[in-house]
Amino acid sequence: MEQKELIKYIQENFKYDKNIQKIDDKQFSITVEKDKILNILSFLKLLDFKQLALITAVDWIKENRFEVVYILFSYSHIQQILVKTFIDRDKPEIETIKTLWEVASMYERDVHEFFGIDFIGNDDKRPLILHNWKDKPPLRKDFDSLKYSNKIFGKFKKDEEND
Amino acid sequence: MTEILTYLGKDEQFEKYELFFGPNHPGMHGNFSYILTVEGHTIKKVDPDPGLLHRGFEKLAERRKWMQNIALIPRICVPEPDINEVIYSIAVEKLMGVEVPLRAQYIRTIILEMARLGSFLFGFGGIGGATGLYTASYWSFSDRDYLLDLFEWLTGARVYHMFIIPGGVRRDLPSGWIEKLLETIDYLQKRLYEYDRLIYNNPLIVKRLKGIGKLTKDEAIEYGITGPNLRATGVKYDTRKMVPYAAYDRIDFEIPTQTEGDGLARATQKREEFQISLDIIKKAVKDLPDGPVRAKMPNPLKFKVPKGDVYVKIESSRGEHAYYIVSDGSDKPYRMAVRGGSYTAGLVLAQKILVGMRIEDVALWMATMDICPPDFDR
Repeated sequence: MEQKELIKYIQENFKYDKNIQKIDDKQFSITVEKDKILNILSFLKLLDFKQLALITAVDWIKENRFEVVYILFSYSHIQQILVKTFIDRDKPEIETIKTLWEVASMYERDVHEFFGIDFIGNDDKRPLILHNWKDKPPLRKDFDSLKYSNKIFGKFKKDEEND
Repeated sequence: MTEILTYLGKDEQFEKYELFFGPNHPGMHGNFSYILTVEGHTIKKVDPDPGLLHRGFEKLAERRKWMQNIALIPRICVPEPDINEVIYSIAVEKLMGVEVPLRAQYIRTIILEMARLGSFLFGFGGIGGATGLYTASYWSFSDRDYLLDLFEWLTGARVYHMFIIPGGVRRDLPSGWIEKLLETIDYLQKRLYEYDRLIYNNPLIVKRLKGIGKLTKDEAIEYGITGPNLRATGVKYDTRKMVPYAAYDRIDFEIPTQTEGDGLARATQKREEFQISLDIIKKAVKDLPDGPVRAKMPNPLKFKVPKGDVYVKIESSRGEHAYYIVSDGSDKPYRMAVRGGSYTAGLVLAQKILVGMRIEDVALWMATMDICPPDFDR
């Protein structure tokens, strides 16, 4: 299907509130509410969006919320869809989609580690990349890497001879 | 600290061990490790354990200005750094609505294909290293050096070029460079037949690669496998053709596919794509138009990118390499997420497909799948 037909088809058949935005000729985004995420993703998977390319998150600290982005691709429609949803920053929880895609489990483990978002139903919360990490999740905007470096490794003294 | 070999217990037949297949193992590609539970020679359980290579690129990029990031991102991937610059530049151009001159598009295509050739040569060496055929690695690494010489002449750097920037490329091709490039391409074409005789027609290698990590079409798509490894299962899809970027929409080329989906099919696929890359460079050089190589951009240290987000992917030698870039309208990226080509293959597929294999096949499977740890440990 072409992008226009695809957007029309989704608008007609997926009956929840959604906000569809075109990014370019081969890419568009859908924003849905957090509790509809499993519905829209299974709907899109049946529509032949078989590849889950990535799950990632964005920390919108000023609005006090996280944006979770699911990136899907279809080899028959040649279209990329970004499915977005917003969750509260004080209670970062969202349903897991590991029942839909096996690879989702690893993406969710990654996002959990770097953003501290809990994926309800995904119990694999072992550290993946950051072993022995005790600070707050590092990709959150309020994590200051300079402060962390000074705390862990001590302040670098200015080499006066080189100045 | 993980022990290299831990005794887990025994049943009637076998003793069970946990083997740390880590960076000090000669068959491992880069700073990455699998924790394998083995019974005799057979693998029973796989637990990928990245983290030794983490450099925090995604966080670092948020602290740097749009142009400063060009010096940072090629370092994500060693064998093929140029793909990062291209993705990043395309993303910035898309968000800003900048039109890149045609000559710059062609030069980008040439650079990308040269990087691809270099990466495939690394791959030939990887297969040689994992099978004990060290001649292959010596040959391919020295042949790759001819490509690096060209890069050095063009950009001043051998590995990390920082040549492709938002708006086009840094400068025009020096005089005499194209002739030297064509000479190198002819040389590599001749060498390819030698590689055929050394690797692909070598009965020992063929026998060794056959049946390693067999994948079907549906499994490959479900697990997010892309690029040559996907085409080796029979899916005729190439990002360069289907969602074109740079000058690929103006260059005609074939998409070869295999049907088997095993180690041999993947290796053969990469050998055939090597040929395609040589052809693309020849065609791009033939059609290379005249004109400027850079669009007019605002002050590089001050420009701001309009609010928005975009997912840009390109075809690397390992599959779909992509960035998800978000801008909040300031002079720095708000968020940059990296999706490397072998992310799912190395972390998820490995847990399933390595079970039942023998220990000595792990290195070979990694070589044919082109597992590159910086793709997920970025």
